[in-house]
Amino acid sequence: MTESKLSIVDLTKKYAAGLAPAVDRLNMEVEEGHLVALLGPSGCGKTTTLRMVAGLMDPTAGSIMVDGREITQEPVNKRGMGMVFQSYALFPHMNVEQNVAFGLQMRQVPKAEQKARVAEALDMVQLGHLGKRATKALSGGQQQRIALARALVVEPTLLLLDEPLSNLDAKLRDTMRTEIRSIQQRTRATTLFVTHDQDEALDMADRIAVMNGGLIEQFGSPIDVYERPRTHFVANFIGQANFLTITVGEDVGPASAAGERNYKIEVPGLGHFGAVGASGLTGRSLPVLIRPHRLRASLQPSASVQELKGTVEQVSYTGDTLSIAVRVGDEVLQSQLHTTSGSLPHTGDTAFLSWDPEHAYILPEHAKAVAA
Amino acid sequence: MKKSIKGKIAAAVTVSAMALALASCSGPGNAAGGDSPTSGEVSLIAYSGVWQDQYNAAVIEPFKAKYPDIKITYSSKRSSAEMLSALQGQKGKPSTDVAIMDNSVSTSGNKQGLFEKIDAAGVPNLANVADEFQNKEGFGPVVMLDAIGLVYDTATFPTPPESWNVLWDPAYAGKINVNAPPSLLGLSLTAITSKMEGEDYTKSIDKAVARLQELAPAVQTFAPNPDEYQSIITGQTVLGLGQNARGQFYSDQSNKKMGVTFPKEGTVYQINTINLVKDAPHSAAAKTFIDYALSAEAQAAFAEKLFYAPSVTNAKLPDDVKNRVVPTDGSLNIVPLDVDFLSSARDKWTDTWKRQIIK
Amino acid sequence: MTTITTENPVPGTREGLESGVLEAAANKRRKRTYLALLIPGILGLLVSFVFPLLYMVRMSFNEGAPDGVVIDTFTFQTYIKPLTDPYYWRVTLDTFRMGLTVGVLCLVVSYPIALFLVRSTSKYKGLLLAIAIAPLLTSAVVRTYGWMVILGTNGLVNTSLESMGLIGSPLKLTNNMTGVTIGLVEIFMPYAILAMISGFGRLSPQLEEAAGSLGASKFKVFMRVTLPLSLPGVFTAFLLVFVMAISTFITPRLLGGGSVQVLATEIYDQTTGLLNWPFAAALSVILLVLFGTIIAIYQRIVQKIGG
Ligand SMILES: Nc1ncnc2c1ncn2[C@@H]1O[C@H](COP(=O)(O)OP(=O)(O)OP(=O)(O)O)[C@@H](O)[C@H]1O
Ligand SMILES: [Mg+2]
Repeated sequence: MTESKLSIVDLTKKYAAGLAPAVDRLNMEVEEGHLVALLGPSGCGKTTTLRMVAGLMDPTAGSIMVDGREITQEPVNKRGMGMVFQSYALFPHMNVEQNVAFGLQMRQVPKAEQKARVAEALDMVQLGHLGKRATKALSGGQQQRIALARALVVEPTLLLLDEPLSNLDAKLRDTMRTEIRSIQQRTRATTLFVTHDQDEALDMADRIAVMNGGLIEQFGSPIDVYERPRTHFVANFIGQANFLTITVGEDVGPASAAGERNYKIEVPGLGHFGAVGASGLTGRSLPVLIRPHRLRASLQPSASVQELKGTVEQVSYTGDTLSIAVRVGDEVLQSQLHTTSGSLPHTGDTAFLSWDPEHAYILPEHAKAVAA
Repeated sequence: MKKSIKGKIAAAVTVSAMALALASCSGPGNAAGGDSPTSGEVSLIAYSGVWQDQYNAAVIEPFKAKYPDIKITYSSKRSSAEMLSALQGQKGKPSTDVAIMDNSVSTSGNKQGLFEKIDAAGVPNLANVADEFQNKEGFGPVVMLDAIGLVYDTATFPTPPESWNVLWDPAYAGKINVNAPPSLLGLSLTAITSKMEGEDYTKSIDKAVARLQELAPAVQTFAPNPDEYQSIITGQTVLGLGQNARGQFYSDQSNKKMGVTFPKEGTVYQINTINLVKDAPHSAAAKTFIDYALSAEAQAAFAEKLFYAPSVTNAKLPDDVKNRVVPTDGSLNIVPLDVDFLSSARDKWTDTWKRQIIK
Repeated sequence: MTTITTENPVPGTREGLESGVLEAAANKRRKRTYLALLIPGILGLLVSFVFPLLYMVRMSFNEGAPDGVVIDTFTFQTYIKPLTDPYYWRVTLDTFRMGLTVGVLCLVVSYPIALFLVRSTSKYKGLLLAIAIAPLLTSAVVRTYGWMVILGTNGLVNTSLESMGLIGSPLKLTNNMTGVTIGLVEIFMPYAILAMISGFGRLSPQLEEAAGSLGASKFKVFMRVTLPLSLPGVFTAFLLVFVMAISTFITPRLLGGGSVQVLATEIYDQTTGLLNWPFAAALSVILLVLFGTIIAIYQRIVQKIGG
């Protein structure tokens, strides 16, 4: 693998003595050209991390390296990063062009080149015609794009975005999502993107860092974090999840994914099923994850597959999908089906649940794991 | 005169102004009380500060004891000009009965028809006022006399300076206080200097101006604060102009830290008259008060308190007081400053000081 | 006319008509309420400002004789002296210069405090602000006396400088323009601080961070972002202090020791000392017109700058 663009080593921030650290020995490696989403619930330390990378805040401990060079002590104006704030932070006393040109002026780029690059940046965000506008006469989406152009025009070593889309309405958010992603891919700017919206992260990011309580629970590609969550928290935070606590039975051979095994599992008291997981899990009691849309529910028992028998507790019909909550023993499991024209189940009906073994993933740990 | 800055401020001012207006409306209304030589209410306008305190103690309180049915309300002003201004404002329907003010100002008031003539019939003690202190036209007489003195720091001057020339001594540069005109102190210094230069100040003060211009850089303040006496007592200055009466008083107050003296070249009288306001609402009671103010007893009492010389011939002063009030027996070299002349010179000299002396 | 009414369905119906009428009535009532609410203020302004002002303007065309005699007439005589006499030009110029100096110095000392107060995240911010404006609770007269004590020949400043051996003889810090300026700057500081704080609305730490992240040094951040964004507050504060400084009387009088002649002290002397009301009124009118014009021009310029 090539050397990382950005490495964060044991980065820690304690706002005040006595307080739990807002960021707790966080480690992360970001590849050149990647867009990394920092995803997590409110208060998990996303902004804090981003601000430390930007140089707007001093870490309590740890180090930050860009291109292999330690920059932890470098002041913000020397870091050469481009930052886009949640509220855009456009300079109200400058027009659009002046805003975009600001970073170039600070770098003492010659006037003519400034002009050309500003124009180019504005064209990139499709606002070339608004150069002379006052910033207060811009819509939210336009301000957003100007902020992006302003950050990108200096060809930053890193592009840092703190919830850039959260002030936009839902529709515009979708448009901007695609636009930011395409600009990012065109410019190949290595980007850290803070969000608490999982869809945004899954859609845009090359890598997602799922944060919780000041540390990264999992760092991986969108498919990775969705399909192979390392922890209960990750599984739950990204997408919907059913969990069953099971006992892992015998290893019945390699699964399709590299390094994974097929196991027999026992749902205590309810029967034996199939699932996949890391090797060497036999004999342990662990949670197994089944996404609702991969959990089949039927009103008739099947002769060929092993099934869980339960009672329909709730039915929710939204046209495209049918969601059924089924009580099995102490647990309530969600199943999501594409609707057919057939009749709907009713509360109290008996339902039979089943899944393909490759769709049941045994989580490796109960406890939190630290991303390596 | 000030500019209103903001609506809010204007509103605040408005409210207070209305309150003031209301308060002042109720003022003159109660002037309609009864009036007789022995009862009623006398409204007096006179000086403020220590003068008021001492006059209260020496004259007003004993008067009230003697005439329990006459009430005295004292309206105090910082200068005679301010008293005149107040009386001008009341002209036609005065609420004031008696005014004690500077001779030059009251003379102007007489001319402006602000005051009433008085005679021995209404004010028997008028007969005791020395001839030269009677008003020739029959208006209010002199009630007390004082003169401009040189005030000095006794630590710097163990013996009193003898000449006004000490003001020009470079040793005291920066430690001198002179109240600029229109204060009588500054006007007096102009006349004294002019006379010292051998000039007739009623015709020209050019030489005096030249001399005062030399003095000006040595002057610490042309408007001493809180006043010319405290300026010396607190050590801001060591030499300056003041009035003898208050000077004597503060000399005692300050344990002789400050002294006051009359230099040999002479000085200017400061004379106060007592005047009956024209159409005074309580004319009868007012005359009783004026009569008491001219009594030997009141004159002596006030001289003992604040060292103004009596204007009546029958006041008996203890020696230690007699030595400290301004002599009125001709023994003091007086630089005459005629009231009519002063009335026209005041503006001019004030202008001259501002343009040519202070700078 | 009738056709229009019938064509228009809403006013045509009884309901429509009524609601329209009701709305108009409600509007009218609202307007009347506003007017009624304005009456006390307008009356107050008339009584306290407009009438005295008119009276003053009228007075300025009278003629003043010695000892407070006002000759009722209509003449421009009173204006001739101040307009032709170089002395009054000097006084006017000094007044202007004092307003300018006090305004600028007051801003210079108040700006960092205001900026600090706006940006502080300390939990004592409220307390600090209270301390900064607490001097407003004491009168300007008291504070002026305080400065007289501090700046006097035997005052704190001179005695400490002397005891440190820095000066041989006391500096003249009072009874001149220096003292007046020091006093006024301090007295107006709370106003300047308040005006600036209220005008610093556009400042935001995020804008400064944005500038920093774009490569601006701390100094550049201040020059390019903080300062320009704080200008509205600075302009307001300057105007406020300037206006108060040129019209203030107490401090120039007390700390000026009779050597500082500005329009306000001149007007005071003319009224209380010489009782020349028409002349004082003329000076007041000149002060009003001259500085009113200057302020109007200032506001124009400020608006142009876009503050
Ligand atoms: N200035 C501060 N002083 C003290 N604690 C702070 C400060 N700023 C943030 N914190 C705390 O640090 C933790 C992390 O905050 P941070 O702003 O990084 O969260 P976040 O992940 O960006 O949340 P959000 O999604 O709500 O923006 C939170 O618990 C927060 O309360
Ligand atoms: Mg945040």
